Amino acid sequence: MAQRRFRRKTEHYFDYSLLFIILFMTGFGLVMIYSASAYDAALQMDNETYYLTHQAFAAVLGIVGMFVVSRIPYHFWEHFAVLGYGVSMLLILLVLTPLGIEANGARRWLNLGISVQPAEIAKLAMILFLSSMICKMGRNVRTGKGFWIILAMAMPHCLLVWRVTDNMSSAIIIFGIAFLMLFVATPDYKRFMLLGALAAVGGGLRIYVIARAATAEDSGFRVARILAWLDPEAYASGRGFQTLQALYAIGSGGIFGKGLGQSIQKLSYLPEQQNDMIFAIICEELGLFGGIAVILIFVLLIWRLMVIANNAADLFGALLVVGVMGHIAIQVILNIAVVTNTIPNTGISLPFISYGGSSVMFLLLEMGLVMSVARGIRLKDV
Amino acid sequence: MEKRNKFTIKMQKKLVVLFGLVLLAFAGLSARLILINKDNGEQYKKQVLSQQQYSSTTIPYKRGEILDSKGTKLAASEKVYDLVLDVKAMNNKEDYVEPTIQALSDYFDVDTGKVREYVQEHPDSQYYVLKKRMSYDEISDYQAMMADENQKETSQYIKGIWFDESYKRVYPNDSLASDVIGFTRTDGTGTYGLEEYYDSVLSGVNGRTYGYMDSDENLQRTTEPAVDGYNIYSTIDATIQGIVEKYLKKYNDENKNVAREGNGAQDISAIVMDVDSGEVLAMASYPFFNLNDTRDTSALIGSRLIDVSGNTTTTVINEEIAASLEEKDKNDLLVQNLNALWKNYCINSTYEPGSTMKPFVAAMGLEDGRLKGNESFECTGIVEIGGYKIRCHNYSTSGAEGWLTIDQAIERSCNIALIKMAQVIGNDEFLKYMEEFNFGLKTNIDLAGEARTASLVFNSNTLGPTELATSSFGQGFNVTMIQMITGFCSLINGGYYYEPHMVSKITASDGSVVENIEPRLLKQTVSAETSAKIRDYCVQVVEGENGTGKRARPAGYRIGGKTGTAETVSAQGTREKDEYVVSFLGYAPADDPQIAIYVVLNRPNARNQDLETRKACIIAKNILTEVLPYLNIFMTEPLTEEEEKELEEMQIDIRQQLSAGVSGNDVSGNEAGTGTGAETGTGTGDPDSGEAAGGDAAAGQEGEQTQESNPYVNADGELVDPDTGEKITEDTPGYDLPVSGLLNGSDAGEAGARDEPPSGLSFTP
Repeated sequence: MAQRRFRRKTEHYFDYSLLFIILFMTGFGLVMIYSASAYDAALQMDNETYYLTHQAFAAVLGIVGMFVVSRIPYHFWEHFAVLGYGVSMLLILLVLTPLGIEANGARRWLNLGISVQPAEIAKLAMILFLSSMICKMGRNVRTGKGFWIILAMAMPHCLLVWRVTDNMSSAIIIFGIAFLMLFVATPDYKRFMLLGALAAVGGGLRIYVIARAATAEDSGFRVARILAWLDPEAYASGRGFQTLQALYAIGSGGIFGKGLGQSIQKLSYLPEQQNDMIFAIICEELGLFGGIAVILIFVLLIWRLMVIANNAADLFGALLVVGVMGHIAIQVILNIAVVTNTIPNTGISLPFISYGGSSVMFLLLEMGLVMSVARGIRLKDV
Repeated sequence: MEKRNKFTIKMQKKLVVLFGLVLLAFAGLSARLILINKDNGEQYKKQVLSQQQYSSTTIPYKRGEILDSKGTKLAASEKVYDLVLDVKAMNNKEDYVEPTIQALSDYFDVDTGKVREYVQEHPDSQYYVLKKRMSYDEISDYQAMMADENQKETSQYIKGIWFDESYKRVYPNDSLASDVIGFTRTDGTGTYGLEEYYDSVLSGVNGRTYGYMDSDENLQRTTEPAVDGYNIYSTIDATIQGIVEKYLKKYNDENKNVAREGNGAQDISAIVMDVDSGEVLAMASYPFFNLNDTRDTSALIGSRLIDVSGNTTTTVINEEIAASLEEKDKNDLLVQNLNALWKNYCINSTYEPGSTMKPFVAAMGLEDGRLKGNESFECTGIVEIGGYKIRCHNYSTSGAEGWLTIDQAIERSCNIALIKMAQVIGNDEFLKYMEEFNFGLKTNIDLAGEARTASLVFNSNTLGPTELATSSFGQGFNVTMIQMITGFCSLINGGYYYEPHMVSKITASDGSVVENIEPRLLKQTVSAETSAKIRDYCVQVVEGENGTGKRARPAGYRIGGKTGTAETVSAQGTREKDEYVVSFLGYAPADDPQIAIYVVLNRPNARNQDLETRKACIIAKNILTEVLPYLNIFMTEPLTEEEEKELEEMQIDIRQQLSAGVSGNDVSGNEAGTGTGAETGTGTGDPDSGEAAGGDAAAGQEGEQTQESNPYVNADGELVDPDTGEKITEDTPGYDLPVSGLLNGSDAGEAGARDEPPSGLSFTP
């Protein structure tokens, strides 16, 4: 009896530190959203908790979903990998129908009772699909042909997200997820280094050309963004405004910040203060200390994901976790890089913290998947 | 199969490599954060502070009200609203634009085409003023709609409309007491009259909302509420003021365009003053002007045109000239003429007083002891002093008047006798008493712009024998009306010279009393005995067989007074033989002086201006006839049949207006006013009980009926049953004839009041 009870206990591993990190991040996100958005919400919506309540609703829904998903053996989802791949593609196209919702000048949302960003669904679908594909391909994935097949499979979604919803950052993230999963799944380094170098040189060249030739007026907004990135103060009232205001926020925070709720930049100066730029508000209110603490929590999260992946019962589970880890890592890095003007401005939200219902909901569902994988770990193997 | 599905060691290693790369990226970003703070932290901190708008919003204060002695509002401040559109807020969502513009058109009648054009050109504008100075009524429909939960469907899409609040000065009685009250400029500061003199009292302190950085560089917002100005209670009684203005205007209406084109006189002015306190009860000077529309040139019609340098021309302003003054290039001319209109003749203008000076001269001699009161002086009709021949004004009609006692001299207004008295008094004493009576000095009445007369009176260097002689009958030196009546009050009240004043109380906006202004006794000018004698002389002027002021006596009362007919000096400095300032200066009742009245007609519109003095007397009589009963001063004298008839006509008139006044008060809920209304009823009823108890039953009934009629009429002017309080319509049985008659009467009263705006009775009884 005693032995059986002990075995039962050890049969299901539950990563409490992961759960704690997730809940903490979500809660911290809500606090920061309220702090960043209350002034603006009161002004624009006559309701200072407008953003807070919307986000809290999505978060609660997501947490419930997370626990449900964590109880379902993850192999169950393998059957839906291809279906999810197709459906998510369809959903992106649905944005063009009357079901699509336009906001802030872009058509990126779907009205499915609640508004949902298909790009977020696509990320989850892509992780699931690629995990299943890599498992199916087995050793073939190590060949050059396999490499290109996997990348090619990610491309339709990337192109659709980019072209149909005009959302390049989500396209980059989807491609990045595929790229990182492939990187982990194959032993090769050369191809990745080559591809990485190619991308770096291509990007650098483009930036060089733009910086030399272009004036902001007659070119598209992406060119303008790059120019603003190179010299934000020259475009202080235009494209560079948001970046510059974010830098002001970070710089004026000092080491320990102005105190929670004391941001000045959130008072109508920094656009998207509760959204893509929330990290700047964190730095302003909580200082370098708060900013780096947030980064450390993400490191902790990613470390937990790595541990779970490395101990996963099988390849499929491990790849799922790697995909989620890649997703979070890419988004955090890109978001903070944008806020600190390390890369040109592009709209990427900070996982768990930025305002965005679909984003936090699907992230939590992904976390449910990860927990499900973690439950499959046999403790004696750890 | 088993093996293939394993997450191999190689993969695990690559995952660790990936983790390492992620760590590296995080480290890089952390370094970047630190660098931003280290390199640019200070600069950015300043940047953040410098782009802060510490924009403060001003909260306007409310200027204090001006009320009359009974609490009737003479000037008040009303909140007004500027309609402002925040285009940026409206453009925030596509869905907002149309409903918002529609609402602007529906509720504010705004030209949507103009708005659209502006919105097109300035999509980021946050402050577009569409309409200025709207009253609350004009915005209340919109406010109600926005607050209505049932209309949430539409109202939730209306964004960016808001109101900027400020105050607008309103004068509920338009032109009533216009010269006394003054008005406010567009910047809110007072100009002329009480508004100017009490500007600092009426003004409050603007509040504001502003942001600032505290010591921790946190943005703080603070609101300092506005401090409203103090209210002032004037000594003016709107009812008396209304009566005075009614008769001044009546004089003008009856005498305009008689001998020449233009008003009944250049200035038609009157002051009523409380004899025992210096409180001014009424002060008016025709032409009046509308305080709510001070630049209305139609008020200038009938006045003489004043040229750009400020000299009065002989041209009379007609409609054509008045309209032409509004042309742009004539602004200087317009300002000159408006300034003349806004001026208060009673305090701003000086003139030679004429014979109203005579009681003062007599008082000098009596007080000094050089006159005993029983002397006689021979009127020779003409005397030669200092090479000038001075005639008595009676000389041409009745020749030399022979020996006259002092009271006879004043009764007939004999110049020669007065010259002889002045000679007895002597230069030094004369000058001493001139100063004693405050001639040449300001009275310091609390109104803006009192004229200085210091250089317009004689001093020991300029007072020669001729000057002394002319001074004895009020020629050669200048006075203001307020100087004359204030000095006269001291002559007849036992010698007490009170500082004349217009304001009796200052209260804060919450009603608490800030200051009570008590009558200020400055000096004793004459003894009680002298004062008693002067009263006797003045009564003789009105009651004596040869009195010049007989026409000034109101039926049923004994009063005293003195007439004045003064020659004027033209702009060129020559004496005008056909231009006069005629006046009556009196007090009532004769035995127990309560009020003094001074009526001055500056250059009356008549062929023989010097004969117009009687018209001044009649104005005074008419005013006293209404004011004395109003002040609860009872009749003491028998009435002749003629007087009775005349009074009856007038009193019916009064009663009808009184009933209108009472119902008006019911509406405003003015307690003090209602009380006075009842008292007035008793006052006007008194002549019947006092004298003609039996003979004047009709008038008595009339009065009672008026009193009774009130219960039949409710606050809205609708007929009600006095017992049930129910509304009576034509269908209500038993109320057909008598009640509808009552209603008509009350209607007629109100209509009468409306026809004559300056009538005070429509404001307070």
